[in-house]
Amino acid sequence: MEAIIKKENMRVKLPAGDWQEAIRQVGTVLKEAGSITDGYINAMIEAVKEYGPYIVIMPGFALAHAAPCEAVLHEDMALITLEEPVCFGSANDPVSVMLCVACVDQDSHIRALQKVALALGEEDIFGKMAAAETVDELYGILHHV
Amino acid sequence: MKEIKIQAVCGFGCGSSLFLRIKIDQILNDNKLTARTFCGDVGTACSADCDVIFTSAELAERMIDRAKVPVIVINNFMDDKEVAEKVLGFFETINE
Repeated sequence: MEAIIKKENMRVKLPAGDWQEAIRQVGTVLKEAGSITDGYINAMIEAVKEYGPYIVIMPGFALAHAAPCEAVLHEDMALITLEEPVCFGSANDPVSVMLCVACVDQDSHIRALQKVALALGEEDIFGKMAAAETVDELYGILHHV
Repeated sequence: MKEIKIQAVCGFGCGSSLFLRIKIDQILNDNKLTARTFCGDVGTACSADCDVIFTSAELAERMIDRAKVPVIVINNFMDDKEVAEKVLGFFETINE
């Protein structure tokens, strides 16, 4: 089975004191993967400052992203859970699962993101993800194995 | 009847709006409705040609004064019930 999100791009129970640290944590996974530079992490934080916490699109879940830009080296995605949930000031707070999407344009990542959206449709999936103790467990929950 | 154009909007038109668009497509399909769906960013959404805008509460505030079409707020982008109610509610208003 093809991975929806690579296991190497998943982490569990990362520490974050606030939403900015949470975005840095998920962004750092993609930076370490060689897919983005620091500029993209800063752009994701600026986006929330500019537009508000709209990235918290479901209870407990934030989709961190910014506009396609030079700081994106490859299209990629990362998924993390937080040790302690953080608040963004959204009605869907607190957040314990974060997805980071780096895109090179507005279209090429659609199929990949579509698979994630379908996989996340299951009821209380974020509760299960937040409780995962290992990356293998988190991977299994997303891929329904 | 002319084609209905539904715009899903987020900050940049490539992340959360895509989630919302996928959900709207699913609702349309389940209810045998046809419409063209596309993603937009909050900066240009109001000048894009569409019949309705679906977006989050935070972004709706930024568009509501400028938008020429209804702006409908979705709180949980993956909630079938909420998205279905609001999409079907919109279709009812245009059929009146």
